Amino acid sequence: MTDPTFPIRCRNLWKIYGPGAAALAATHAPGPDPETLASRGLLAALRDVTLDIGKGEVFVIMGLSGSGKSTLVRCMTGLVPPTMGDLLIDGENLRDMSPDRLIEIRRHKISMVFQDFALLPHLTVLGNIAFPLKVQGIDRESRERRAAELVELVGLAGRESHFPHELSGGQQQRVGIARSLITNPEIWFLDEPFSALDPLIRHEMQDELMRLQATLNKTVVFITHDFDEAIRIADRIAIMRGGRVVQVDTPEGLVLAPADDYVAAFTRKIPRHRVLRVASVLGPVSAGATGDPVRNTALVGDVAARVLAADAPLPVVDGGGTIVGSLDRQSVIGTVFGVNA
Amino acid sequence: MAAAGLHDARQPRPGPKVTRAAALSLLAGLLILAGLLWAAASVLPGWVWRVPAAWQPDLAGTVNRAFTWVARRAEIGSLAVRDITRAVASLIEVPLDLVRGLLVEGFRLRLGSGLRFEIAALPWWALTAVWGMLAHRIGGRPSMLLVLGTCLYFLVFGLWTPAMLTLASVSLSVAFGAVAGLLLGAWAYRAPRLDAGLGAVYDIMQTLPVFSYLVPILLFFGFGPVAALTATVIYAMPPMARNTTLALRRLPPSVTDLATMVGCTPRQRMWLVLLPAARHGLLAGLNQVIMLSLSAVIIASIIGAGGLGNDVLQGLKSMQLGRAFEAGVGITLLAIVLDRLSRAQALRRPAHGAEGHGRGRRLGWQVAALLLAGLVAAQLFPPLRAFPEMLVVSTGRMLDQAVAWANIAFEAPIGALRDGMVRHVLRPVKDALLALPWLAVTAAAVLAAARIQGLRLALATLAMLGFIALSGYWDQAMISLYLVLVSTLVAMLIGFPVGLAAGLHPGLDRWITLVIDTLQTLPTFVYLIPVVMLFGLGDFPAMVAIVLYALPPAIRYTKDGIARVPASLIEAADMAGCSPRQKLAYVQIPHALPEIMLGVSQTLLMAFGMLVITSLVGTRGLEQETLVAVSKARVGEGLIAGLGISFLSIIADRLISQGSQRLRQRLAGPGAGQEHP
Repeated sequence: MTDPTFPIRCRNLWKIYGPGAAALAATHAPGPDPETLASRGLLAALRDVTLDIGKGEVFVIMGLSGSGKSTLVRCMTGLVPPTMGDLLIDGENLRDMSPDRLIEIRRHKISMVFQDFALLPHLTVLGNIAFPLKVQGIDRESRERRAAELVELVGLAGRESHFPHELSGGQQQRVGIARSLITNPEIWFLDEPFSALDPLIRHEMQDELMRLQATLNKTVVFITHDFDEAIRIADRIAIMRGGRVVQVDTPEGLVLAPADDYVAAFTRKIPRHRVLRVASVLGPVSAGATGDPVRNTALVGDVAARVLAADAPLPVVDGGGTIVGSLDRQSVIGTVFGVNA
Repeated sequence: MAAAGLHDARQPRPGPKVTRAAALSLLAGLLILAGLLWAAASVLPGWVWRVPAAWQPDLAGTVNRAFTWVARRAEIGSLAVRDITRAVASLIEVPLDLVRGLLVEGFRLRLGSGLRFEIAALPWWALTAVWGMLAHRIGGRPSMLLVLGTCLYFLVFGLWTPAMLTLASVSLSVAFGAVAGLLLGAWAYRAPRLDAGLGAVYDIMQTLPVFSYLVPILLFFGFGPVAALTATVIYAMPPMARNTTLALRRLPPSVTDLATMVGCTPRQRMWLVLLPAARHGLLAGLNQVIMLSLSAVIIASIIGAGGLGNDVLQGLKSMQLGRAFEAGVGITLLAIVLDRLSRAQALRRPAHGAEGHGRGRRLGWQVAALLLAGLVAAQLFPPLRAFPEMLVVSTGRMLDQAVAWANIAFEAPIGALRDGMVRHVLRPVKDALLALPWLAVTAAAVLAAARIQGLRLALATLAMLGFIALSGYWDQAMISLYLVLVSTLVAMLIGFPVGLAAGLHPGLDRWITLVIDTLQTLPTFVYLIPVVMLFGLGDFPAMVAIVLYALPPAIRYTKDGIARVPASLIEAADMAGCSPRQKLAYVQIPHALPEIMLGVSQTLLMAFGMLVITSLVGTRGLEQETLVAVSKARVGEGLIAGLGISFLSIIADRLISQGSQRLRQRLAGPGAGQEHP
């Protein structure tokens, strides 16, 4: 049952709100049709969601408000019980877990960062970060020693004894991030963690997150309503609308092959050179290509300067160093302006 | 939940028509009433006018017998209830004796036969120093000076002992009330069903006159400080419970999610996350518990709680008004100190560095050392125990003479004011209310309730007024009602223009706010002192005391209502070419009207609160029945008359606040802020 490659698996997940939702679940497995829902005045916040989240990947759930993204993550963390369907955390079905086991999982395996930070106003930075360990009954000295390491990690050294109201929004969320990491969880949920911050700070925090993830390699589930943010940090993105998952793909995949007009509308505004990789735009192997080769997995935007500065197309190599094609100015300029590919 | 009753089928939609309909029905009710009166004299049977004695069950007697039986005879298992209550009383007495011993009385220990050992109480200088230090930490230098000044006042005027007795009762009542309120509030948060039920109980607890539940408490606990403490806790606890539930409910959802996500057990969730995160709300509740405790402790002096209230009461009774005045000023100072400090503590936010653990601990050691030094020094050197006699002064005699002189000098204007009010306002209103047939009053009130809110309120009104009528206290109820109505009207007549001025002129507002904030911290009892000094006893001084006490909400709500008119609306009025007078009449006052009506209902509730205390200056309504019941130890009469006051105030409050809500919905416009369909 346990599948180490997919720590989170959702199977036909439904969340229905309204009177008699539970009764409906008993009679209409695996899932009700829209007419039944409408006739009983029920609201489906999640409709038949099935997806797998791989170990160590940054999985972004993207959707506008009311799309069900928050409900989905609340189901994954057990904050809200699903009406129908299964949710497996490391192969364990959340539905079958005892309350004690759920507490156990939350204390050691998963953790969460909140949109409005949810810092406790009466505790210092150090106290807030150490709080999850306090709940576990770990003695003060060891938990504060561990918290001090995390203060360092998130760049708040020197502010250990500050109280939350004395910090800026960005700093407060750094505390929230440090707190969520202190238990060394395997799965890290971030529920719109940067939405309350202003754009410059948001950008900085995204960089910070990617820096942390490069060393920590957690399984990350990141909720956002900001498509720019999603493509910046995601390995894969799930786009939600009206409680359904419309498409799950890499940022590049979404841009190259949007599943429907809704997804296409999002991708249209995206600077393509920041999403597309060399492999999607390269030309055929050409004898004229000279100079230092570029990798086929590099982002077009990252190699653009070199290609534009070169007199001839550059050769493109794969991971083994084999030449698989060439990249010329035409393709780079076309990518930026969205006229080819 | 309340919305269920709001929307029975015949209820018209909220909108302009509703209030017009309500006004029309009120008018209709009054017309019916007038018609009845006109036609009635000979035609109507007597039971329309007066409730026949045959209809009135002997409620009071039954209640009396039941309570007496429980208190004297009843047994649970093999234990008599009486023994149980006495045991509880002696249990409560332990902490009470400890605090009183420390602050005032000292301890007498008996070691074996004939061997006695006395420990002196903490001396005045140690306590003053410690409180000064604590005040400095909480509120800085101004708070410290206030505390030191207050202590000096008590010492110089020879009020130290009664002040410490009062403080001992207040601190214990606050401790009990805060803990009980916190637990009940947290419980209600976890069980919303319970919350609705508790809310109704709190309503009654807060509107029931203190005297009413003093009697049963006396029956169970006997005369003295324990009974006073119990009554005080009952009176002061509800706001703590309500504030706790409210503060917990207002926490952002992410805080509760956090508690879940870090894997809290239910107990950790409440004590480590929810309650600390809600602490500002809890401290606001604590402030109210402190102020209500002080108020109740003063009142409880009539059943032997002692303290400053006792000095006031004795002064009033023996017409040594100077003495009463000095003690009254002492109560006022104590109230201001307690309010300032608890408010400052509630608003305080922790800052890094300024108060590391080291610093708090150091203060703790200093306080402990000082107290210990005080105990030892007082034990070894008796002269250090009490404040030197020769430094104590009293202005009592001088004040008495001043009052006597003022009463003679201003007899003409004061007398004219008093007699004029009594002859032309008070007595006619009272006679009119007493002349109305009880059936017509009840019918009009029920009709109004049905129109303003719906079936639920109408039934509740019917039940409550019916209870008053059948209990045989109808006339007393009308007398209570008349005093409250006249006082509320006068308070509004003064409060509305003052509030209007404050709302329009922010500069004036600062001073008025300061005055009404201070007025609001004063315990009810204090208001009686100057009033009795100037006007003696009777309905007129009672009215003046009620007006003074009920004035702050009349001013505050008017002021807030005017100040909260949106700036864009004012600018629109200016741009439409309104004159200031037109702006006031067509924009500001109409917009502030719901808020002002809320102010009326608050004023009315305050008036009912003060009414109870005015029984001490000889009013004749239900409140007097509750006071008499205390002196005769009649549980039944006290409870039933008290419930009558409680019911009157609940009906009046619901009618007016529901009306205000309707008005607010109308102002918000169709669709805005509506309840569910």
